[in-house]
Amino acid sequence: MKIFFQKFIQSFPFILSICIGIMIWHYSIIFFDMPSYVLPKPGLVWIALYDGLSQDPFARSSFWFHLSDTLNATLMGFVIGGLVGLVGAAMMAESKMIETALLPYVVGLQSLPKVAIAPLLVIWFGYGIESKVAMAFVLTLFPVLINSLSGFRSFPRERIELMISLKATRWNTFRLIKFPSAMPMVFSGLNIGIVYAMLGTLVSEFSGGQKGMGVIMMQMQAVSDTAGVFASMAILGFTGYVLISLMRQLQKYLVFWMEEAEQGLGV
Amino acid sequence: MQSNKLINAVNSTTTLLSVRNLFKKYQTKVGDTVDALTDIHLDLMDGEFVSVLGPSGCGKTTLLKILAGIVQHSSGEVMFKGQAIADSKNVMGVVFQSPVLLPWLTVLDNVLLPLRVLGMDRNQYLASAISLIELVGLHGFENKYPNELSGGMQQRVSIVRALIHDPGILLMDEPFGALDSLTRERMNSELQKIWLIKKKTIFFITHSISEAVFLSDRVIVMSARPGKIIEEIRIDFPRPRHIDLTSTQEFGAIAKHLRGCLGSYESGHE
Repeated sequence: MKIFFQKFIQSFPFILSICIGIMIWHYSIIFFDMPSYVLPKPGLVWIALYDGLSQDPFARSSFWFHLSDTLNATLMGFVIGGLVGLVGAAMMAESKMIETALLPYVVGLQSLPKVAIAPLLVIWFGYGIESKVAMAFVLTLFPVLINSLSGFRSFPRERIELMISLKATRWNTFRLIKFPSAMPMVFSGLNIGIVYAMLGTLVSEFSGGQKGMGVIMMQMQAVSDTAGVFASMAILGFTGYVLISLMRQLQKYLVFWMEEAEQGLGV
Repeated sequence: MQSNKLINAVNSTTTLLSVRNLFKKYQTKVGDTVDALTDIHLDLMDGEFVSVLGPSGCGKTTLLKILAGIVQHSSGEVMFKGQAIADSKNVMGVVFQSPVLLPWLTVLDNVLLPLRVLGMDRNQYLASAISLIELVGLHGFENKYPNELSGGMQQRVSIVRALIHDPGILLMDEPFGALDSLTRERMNSELQKIWLIKKKTIFFITHSISEAVFLSDRVIVMSARPGKIIEEIRIDFPRPRHIDLTSTQEFGAIAKHLRGCLGSYESGHE
């Protein structure tokens, strides 16, 4: 209880800034006479948010209905993209042949704005969840693959010498040394990947679809329901925050031997 | 005193390791050949403590890595119990300049790591691991992680790890170089204690003349690159040796002689 109270006091400046921010938002609309389709008042956004969240979760008019679809696609695309990226990187790190065969594609496609293929994926996979998963997959794959590859190559030389002196097999060296040594960089890739997975899902939803946060945002835009758009953004922002926090917790648990700062987690 | 000398003399007639006509050459990027090691002849007897002294860059680490199987020699032979080391199933125990512990494993798991690699049964060696950990004074630290230990403690763990699979030879590459001199002196006494109890054959590389003389039965001196053996002397002080030995006149005389060997090479004499 005391800890909560302490944290509350510590975050007071932040809470204060939110309150001031909302007040500035509210009063500038009145002062500058802004139409509500450009910038709705905080109160309207709150109503839209409350409305959407209090609906029956299975109804089409509920945020939950669409959020769950977006989340599903995000997580599926992330997991598949993450696994393929990780395994692909491991294979490329261990086999020079595979690396020279695939690396040009990876480097070449890396700089391509991959969101440009969203319409193509819709053509191929239709408007259902498959095209969203495909988009999330593509966007997750690259950061995970590239960071993991870098991780698999960045082991301290002496650890490998230790293995050689023990006449270790290649598999043992990979399993006991290279894989754990790569974990911090693998997680760098995964942290970027989860954000991109959600991004990919949204972009795919913008291109068309039947349900998902991106889809209803497009619908709200069409009828100038700006308050709804703001409410959707708030939900997405919060969801993204939760996903990233979960990743960080997982990282702290699995890569327990390194300080967060050492891992480049930053803020 | 006499009985201590007898303990050490028991196995010293078996040649465990023999090196003949060993050369190591490297190709530089421009295509020149650099001689790292030249015509090395060396024998290690069972139970001996042999130190190698030499200036930086003289190839002593390269020699150790060749013995460990990490680096290939260019020509010559390295035989363990009569068999070429590349062919023999023998695995050495290696202690590097830094502890090289795996930070995601506990002290105990780090110590047992060679068993996992060699496919040996963990349970069989568990008791031996725990007693070795106790022998080096780290009782109670079995479940700690390396980042909870000081440098000297980590290095002690790596020594235990090098011993767990009961290797024929313990190869040590300036293991105490990164430690302060007080800790270093303590570690020298620890190592002597381990050696007296375990009766291992030890091949020990060092920069420190007094460390070499204190610990060894024999000291080998190498020249600067290209690495050649220029001197080999026996150290006959009885065991166990106390650190006060280092202040005696006889000790000083031997150290002076060795310093002269090293010094004459630095000033370019042959």
